[in-house]
Amino acid sequence: MKMDIGNEVRELNLSYLMLAQQMLVADRAGGMFKLGVGEDVAEVIENLSPAQILRMASSDMLLCRFRFDDTLLLNLLGNHGRENSAARIHATILAASKPVEHLV
Amino acid sequence: MKSLVQDVQETRLAIEMIELGARMQMLESETGLSRERLLKLYKEIRGESPPKGMLPFSTDWFIPWQQNVHASLFMSLRSFVIRNTEHNPLEATLQAFRMYREQVELMQLDEVLSLTRAWTLVRFFDAKMLQQTRCTCCGGEFVAHAYDPTHGYVCGLCHVPARAGKGKRPMREEVVIEVA
Repeated sequence: MKMDIGNEVRELNLSYLMLAQQMLVADRAGGMFKLGVGEDVAEVIENLSPAQILRMASSDMLLCRFRFDDTLLLNLLGNHGRENSAARIHATILAASKPVEHLV
Repeated sequence: MKSLVQDVQETRLAIEMIELGARMQMLESETGLSRERLLKLYKEIRGESPPKGMLPFSTDWFIPWQQNVHASLFMSLRSFVIRNTEHNPLEATLQAFRMYREQVELMQLDEVLSLTRAWTLVRFFDAKMLQQTRCTCCGGEFVAHAYDPTHGYVCGLCHVPARAGKGKRPMREEVVIEVA
């Protein structure tokens, strides 16, 4: 059976938007950190109605984008070595200093 | 004369801080509530009297490897909150502490910083006794003594010392200096 990529993308968009909204409602600043978005983007996502979420999700463009394009950060996140927790703290410290997504 | 609304707000803030583990010194300095009121709140929420004694006052505590990693994690999260939200300094400290605690729980590590310890750390920054120094290797910001040379600084996570975290177990609560 051939995977319907368009459908998969729409499903992922829907899950992503719903999860992002939940995270921001539960803890605004914490959600912004994990999502990597600024207050303006957070405001928009938080205020989307279910109908708007459905409409946005039904695009065949993926709505979330690859965030960590930093080699060091990628290596740290992929690290499964002995010093795993140190690598994860290191990754968190670096991620906290990265700029967030804003609306232009 | 304090307004009723302000009183309620400060009480709510005190409750939040007590639940996160604040000690009396922090509560007294961050709210305008009376000591009696704070003591009552503390006992009601924690079910015991607050620990007596002074707060630890040395910046050196934040320098050994494990403490430094935790302090740097907390300060990075706090900088994120300050940079990206409208939180005031105290709210940012509380928010960053909740984020710190979540990270530490996720990684199943000991909670090396307590809220009061984290708050003391911020006060050392305000007093310009500590600073965030950028690691020349990874670009992350790490807690260091103010006015330490920053040229060629490499953080403890880029170059993990051989015995890192293997020294004597740090105490979970800050050392209470008993008043005689």
